[in-house]
Amino acid sequence: MKTITLTLKKKSQIALEFDELIPDKVFTWEKADFENYQVPVGNRRFPLTDYFDIEVEGTAENPAEVKMILDGDCGRVKYIGSKMGAGEIIVNGDADLHCGAEMEGGKITVNGHAESYAGREMKGGELEIMGNTREFCGCSYIGDWRGMSGGKIILHGSAGKQLGECLSGGEIYVGGDCDILAGIHMNKGFIQIDGDVTRWPGGQMKNGNILIKGKLGILLEGMVFDEIVKDPVIDGKSFSGKYIKYTGDLAVNGKGGLYLNAEKNREYL
Amino acid sequence: MAYEPPVTDYDEIVENCTCAFCGCNCDDLDYLVKDGHVVGVRHACRLGASKIMEDMDQRLMVPMIRDETGELQEVDWDTALDKAAELIAGAIRPIFYGWSETSIETMKHGIRLGELVGAVLDNQATICHGPSLQAVQNAGYPIATLGEVKNRADMIVYTGSNPMNSHPRHLGRYSTFPRGWFRQRGRFDRTLITMDPKYSDTAKMSDIWIGFEQNGDYGFYNAIRAALKGKKIDQDYVSGIPKEDIMELAEAMKNVQFGALYFGLGLTHTLSKQRNIDMAIEMLTDLNEYTKWVLTPMRGHFNVNGFNIFMAFEMGFPYGVDFCRGYQRYMNGETNTIDLLTRKECDVFMVIAADPGAHYPGGAVKHLAEIPVIQVDIHWGPSTEIADVVLPGSFVGVEAAGTSYRMDGVPIYMKKAIDKPETCRDDEWIMRELLERVQKIKDQEAAVASK
Repeated sequence: MKTITLTLKKKSQIALEFDELIPDKVFTWEKADFENYQVPVGNRRFPLTDYFDIEVEGTAENPAEVKMILDGDCGRVKYIGSKMGAGEIIVNGDADLHCGAEMEGGKITVNGHAESYAGREMKGGELEIMGNTREFCGCSYIGDWRGMSGGKIILHGSAGKQLGECLSGGEIYVGGDCDILAGIHMNKGFIQIDGDVTRWPGGQMKNGNILIKGKLGILLEGMVFDEIVKDPVIDGKSFSGKYIKYTGDLAVNGKGGLYLNAEKNREYL
Repeated sequence: MAYEPPVTDYDEIVENCTCAFCGCNCDDLDYLVKDGHVVGVRHACRLGASKIMEDMDQRLMVPMIRDETGELQEVDWDTALDKAAELIAGAIRPIFYGWSETSIETMKHGIRLGELVGAVLDNQATICHGPSLQAVQNAGYPIATLGEVKNRADMIVYTGSNPMNSHPRHLGRYSTFPRGWFRQRGRFDRTLITMDPKYSDTAKMSDIWIGFEQNGDYGFYNAIRAALKGKKIDQDYVSGIPKEDIMELAEAMKNVQFGALYFGLGLTHTLSKQRNIDMAIEMLTDLNEYTKWVLTPMRGHFNVNGFNIFMAFEMGFPYGVDFCRGYQRYMNGETNTIDLLTRKECDVFMVIAADPGAHYPGGAVKHLAEIPVIQVDIHWGPSTEIADVVLPGSFVGVEAAGTSYRMDGVPIYMKKAIDKPETCRDDEWIMRELLERVQKIKDQEAAVASK
């Protein structure tokens, strides 16, 4: 087991890019390697030691044995754990854009808020965010119809706009509220939202399921009332209580399921 | 409006000039020239004519550099260009913003400079039709030229757009009023619909005005699509419009011979942004099962579309292209000017033929005031007040020739009509000079590093 601890000592105004500092690439690195490493900042590279104090303990045979701990406010560190395949990254603070983007395995824990594009095009592994995230969590690259295709995003706070855009697999759990257009263009996978949703979940969705336990603001006309289900079972998970089930989005001849908590959304009955 | 007598006192007429104002790029203008100045413009709208005639109003005439006291001081071209090149070469996160009011020929040098130093190249799409470009990447681009619409369309829809004020000749020259090959009676052969929360000047002269509620665009188009698929709408009102009206509208849109939808910033910059356009494009896909429908964004500046087309052709991405890692990247919210400025990441800002000082949100302008700003422009404006180096350019389409792209993607070569002021330079020359001077600094740096 190898523990790599990076403690922030100077916050850069221009974002650092951490796409090269993933367990898959650094599992053989010693402390000297980190000290020689130059991190991309804007159009240059600067020594990592300008920004972080580095501690390396233990050894690792493969990426899975690596645990990276980022201490401090990483609100200007982009691409944390981007494309990682194994190992663990813990961020004790906020994370900037593209946290866990295109990750294929392993685990990332953010003990703070995450910026937009958290878990973009994720293929596997687990991304846990204790705070809130902003727009396009678990989305696709602009223009692609395949978004996150595997793995799990656990978000304890609230989500921004267009959560799980073009979701084509995997699972997203949101403990808090969610803004407009959750699961837009989704074609597979499952989104569970425990809090309230402002507007239009499941716009242009083709398949997959969305379950909302809180109150919904505005429902799309493309969602067609199906039935009222008691204790639904979705993707092998059972939920207690009464839910209104809609099928949609009719606009794209979608077969997706939208489950609305019946108790909290009586006006839709 | 007071009567203005026609201009009769002029030396010569320069015919078939192209207007350098909005995305209509009207190429039928005649300039009346006297003593090397345009004193009158025939055929143009008031917006275009006033821009062309008042080209000397608050004109930037000489290069300037801001001194220690905070005042802009007149300098010679070499000093100003060297100062600008030094700033650009030393920048870590430079942004080159603007380009929409200059020629493609200028952009050519701009891209090379951006690639050389690892800059972000962005244009006004980032604050206007960027969401349209994102939606086009998602859902396709059912576009037609304006000429096709003129000759064929029998239903014109303007949504989130008020061309009577913003593109005054759009209705008269391209869409609604002209007599076309298949529309011999002009206006009488066409139905004009305006979809806008505001009862705008365009709405006043339309046959039908649909005033859906603000931010209700996505839900409204979704309901039209549901109606097109044969669903009887459940909710009594969708986005403030009665369900009967929506079903009637869907039926009417199905039964035209050729429909054209034009959308503006009312659609791109409400709550659901790019998804409004995404939905509108997919609505046209549905309508195309019954008849022919096309869509065109109402682009603002005369060459804003040109930058997007040129950039997409050269670099694969339409705007907000980031070269900082040596290859091009594009990500909304990351490589766009406003985000980089509000996050205070940018350290040198070059503005070419644009006015961010007037149009940017407060937080972004505040950061601009704190960093070095290089301005290449023809008029004194809010951006000049925050600029540290000012390089006076020339007026493309009047004082300099160049290529521009109309809103429908048709390239138009804009010709030169008069000479520029002696102390000014062409935008293309300025950009080439900057490129050469920055290249020289980079070569020197490389030579020192290799020793």
